[in-house]
Amino acid sequence: MASTACFVIVSKNDIPIYDAEVGSAPKKEDQAYQHQFILHAALDVVQDLAWTTNAMSLKSVDRFNELVVSVYVTAGHTRFMLLHDTRTEDGIKSFFQEVHELYIKIFLNPLYLPGSRITSSHFDTKVRALARKYL
Amino acid sequence: MGREVAGSCLDGVVMEMVSAYCGRFYAAKPELAAGRIEAIGFQVGHQLSERYTMDRPRFTDHLEAIKFICKDFWSELFKKQIDNLKTNHRGTFVLQDNCFPWLTHVSLDPSMESTDATESDPALLGDTAAQTTSMLLYFPCGIIRGALTNLGIPCAVSADMSNLPACSFVVRIKT
Repeated sequence: MASTACFVIVSKNDIPIYDAEVGSAPKKEDQAYQHQFILHAALDVVQDLAWTTNAMSLKSVDRFNELVVSVYVTAGHTRFMLLHDTRTEDGIKSFFQEVHELYIKIFLNPLYLPGSRITSSHFDTKVRALARKYL
Repeated sequence: MGREVAGSCLDGVVMEMVSAYCGRFYAAKPELAAGRIEAIGFQVGHQLSERYTMDRPRFTDHLEAIKFICKDFWSELFKKQIDNLKTNHRGTFVLQDNCFPWLTHVSLDPSMESTDATESDPALLGDTAAQTTSMLLYFPCGIIRGALTNLGIPCAVSADMSNLPACSFVVRIKT
């Protein structure tokens, strides 16, 4: 089942520190840019919503055509944003929780500067594997 | 994410780090040593707060975050909670710990301090010992500051050690 999905991690200073196209549909170049644009535009909505609740998972915050943006906010105000189509709703919360664990492992690395880009290929591989598993 | 290490090893590492920075790296410049120790604590607190807030809902205001520091964070670090929390409701909090674990092995007995008794002056020895202890306290100050900064609360933390082993940390939130 082909699905489009784009995953971005935004730090609390509003700098994207990781992004990946994790869908299983064939990738088209201009669509990748469009996905990132939609995600960045959704940041404003997330900013408002994040203060209204103390839950971590904000579920779906924005829509664009058939694509939905779901967001998960950590206590340190790092946002995990996922752009996906409406078919893949269920495993998203577990996906976010597992990525949160991976993110904490990166964060605990003393050589990692918080707020800088995540360049570890190991992290990248694991995120893509989780995306295949849950999305 | 769970391997275990003896608690005394951690105490030993912290004490050795403080004495290395004060005695060897920045021997003649205590302000620089204090700054470095506080910066190390800041990074540790920053990372630990991210880890310990993983399973719980986010915080709605400053008081909630400070209470998290007093209860969950402190019990993860030292297996006990902060004994007393006072606030003036205008951005200053005092966290008092009646028996701070890293200070239990520190004694301020001047008679055991130095080997050259020729020019030793009890008041001066007391000062040196107090200065070394205050160096040790820069590390937990940095930890608290790092944890609160990661939760979105910029602050300044100082320690007050008028009677060991009790010590209190004064947190001033920058507005």
